[in-house]
Amino acid sequence: MLTKSLKLLGATGLALGVGLGVAQAQTEIEMFFPVPVEGKLAKEMQSLMERFNEAHPEIEATAVYTGSYDETNLKTRAAIKAGRPPAAVIMSANFILEYQLNDEIEPLDPLIEAEGSSADAFMDRFWPALHGNARFADRVWAVPFHNSTPLLYINADHFREVGLDPDNPPATWQDWAAAASKLVKREGGETTRWGLMLPENYDYLGWIMTALTMSNGGLYYNPEYGGEVYYDTPSMLGALTFVHDLAHEFEVMPAAITDGKAVSTAFFAGQTSMVVLSTGSLSFIRENMKDDYRVAFVPRNVRNAVAIGGASLMMPKGLSEEKKQAAWTLMNWLTSPEISGHWSRFTGYFAPNRQAYELPEMKQFIADNPDAKVALDQLQYARSWFATYNTVAVRKALEDQVQAVITGDKQPKEALEAAQENADAQMRPYVEATALKLPASM
Amino acid sequence: MAAPRPLMRAGGARFDSGRLLAIALLAGVALVWSTPLLWMLVASLRPQNFGGLDMASLWPDFTPTLANFAEALESADFARLYLNTILVCAGILAVQLATITLAGYAFARLSFRGREVVFYGFLLQLMLVPPILIVPNLTTITRLGLYDSLLGVMAPYFASAFGVFLMRQTFRTIPRDFEEAAVVDGASWWQLIWRVLVPLARPGMVAFAIVSVVSHWNEFLWPLMVVSSLDNQTLTVGLASFTMGAESASQWGVIAAGTCLVAAPLLLAFGLFQRQFVNSFLFSGVK
Repeated sequence: MLTKSLKLLGATGLALGVGLGVAQAQTEIEMFFPVPVEGKLAKEMQSLMERFNEAHPEIEATAVYTGSYDETNLKTRAAIKAGRPPAAVIMSANFILEYQLNDEIEPLDPLIEAEGSSADAFMDRFWPALHGNARFADRVWAVPFHNSTPLLYINADHFREVGLDPDNPPATWQDWAAAASKLVKREGGETTRWGLMLPENYDYLGWIMTALTMSNGGLYYNPEYGGEVYYDTPSMLGALTFVHDLAHEFEVMPAAITDGKAVSTAFFAGQTSMVVLSTGSLSFIRENMKDDYRVAFVPRNVRNAVAIGGASLMMPKGLSEEKKQAAWTLMNWLTSPEISGHWSRFTGYFAPNRQAYELPEMKQFIADNPDAKVALDQLQYARSWFATYNTVAVRKALEDQVQAVITGDKQPKEALEAAQENADAQMRPYVEATALKLPASM
Repeated sequence: MAAPRPLMRAGGARFDSGRLLAIALLAGVALVWSTPLLWMLVASLRPQNFGGLDMASLWPDFTPTLANFAEALESADFARLYLNTILVCAGILAVQLATITLAGYAFARLSFRGREVVFYGFLLQLMLVPPILIVPNLTTITRLGLYDSLLGVMAPYFASAFGVFLMRQTFRTIPRDFEEAAVVDGASWWQLIWRVLVPLARPGMVAFAIVSVVSHWNEFLWPLMVVSSLDNQTLTVGLASFTMGAESASQWGVIAAGTCLVAAPLLLAFGLFQRQFVNSFLFSGVK
């Protein structure tokens, strides 16, 4: 404690007496955070923590960098099992359900009610699309921190070059495939420019397939029950067949697995005219794209619909009462309109707190950046992100098969049957403990 | 230019062509192996450029810039990262050398009941995939009060099955005559180890040291699990904190520069001590 206080003194140069007194009364909390997007995010998070600690002398919060979303999940789980839970975690929004199923996180309702508010009033400040992954099973389990949806990014110069109107980007799958066929460039047997590229690495691919099946009228998963996914269904079959055709019939998309980084690099380099990427990439693309570009909704076949992405703040169980309060203060501060808006402008994610958009600096930002407005407008069509028992394995069951279809090793129908079977096997323990746990003979 | 054609005698030509072929093959393999390194060097000096196709090019067709290094250096406290990583690697190695020497000696020279069973039990550890031990190890570390400390990063590696195996094999190649002579002169068991066996086993220890330092220098997952405060981060974790991003394109230049900074000490050390290293590996049979 003393060394800690001294360090604090050394760092801030506070007067000795005051500094020591303050440090001893402080509640020390840790928050785990992943770095999902590019830029100096880790540094920005540290400076946010400094601001928070300055404004809250009774708390000393530390932000702990914990790798990617998956590594953050691993570290959080290990830390909880080892008896060292962090006070708060910025967790991929679709992993929250599993923590709730495992009884590892605190419901936030008591903290909300202690402030004289209600769960309804609390959730009302967030965009409706975000509610599903934060409030379920009659409780509030998470506070949305930064969120995204997939967006269609198009190279406006390429559009003009082939006689398409960049201000009227494709809105339906029909237009989309037609535009891609016009945009693709071949020299001899080689494709020198692709019409479209999709990020096809794990996690990203599942999210893209969610967007496509939802745009095709599907749901992807049962939002009410963690033991069902809808892989072997007409809406998913349509979506996967469309992906198959883009690669193998129209030949406008590489028949090889391209990861998110390769996709954005290819877009910057003009090697592809259209890409689907997260709204979280918006700032990065805005800063680094040399060609003229536009963004648009993910095109629809049946309806406009995408899944949200991003992360929420959650609070593991096993914390002391002071730590809980301190973590709650931090969570509220991080999702306040001002900080939410600041983080949104810095990263490209949209601010989950809709009040953020009523602040003058945010209004100015939206006016200056019409692309950010498109991302915001798409929110009204956004839905919850797929979350089930054993989320990652269930997602991979589909992704492996979709990759096999893209590379031409499988046909869509057989791929989906295999994916469904594998996913069902992954969820079986939960299903048997819940929906299939029936009364025995009396 | 009327340069004289190289003279080639009939006998020499056959010899030379075989040799040339071998050199060409080796050069080809070396090129394939060194491509990532070369690309890393070229990309780290390339001016920030997201749009160009030249980003993937190996050819340095630009004015080199140190901007990427400057950005990497300012993105993390590299002095602290280097210090922590060196402490971790050196600490692990120091303890390992003591434990593997003693255990290797026990398995090579002492006879006790169940020696073979214990030894093969030890070897079984090599079969375990480290990630499955993350939760139990972290629980132990936390109980010992070592969570978020460099000692916590080191602790699980203080014993090494591979090292014990290597030292046992190395000791067994040393003729017993040396020890017997020393015993006649009145040496105790620890004098035997320290004055007779350890000096003779040095190449084996150097080989082990290389494997140990390289693997712990590059380790990412375990330090990420144990360490929470910035002050205790190691190089790999520090590097990832400003270069990893799942949802967007990468700043390849900065990544390459950061990776150069992380890899440089090892590359440098290898360059300096190349001959000793190669000799050790040849001697000990480690590949």
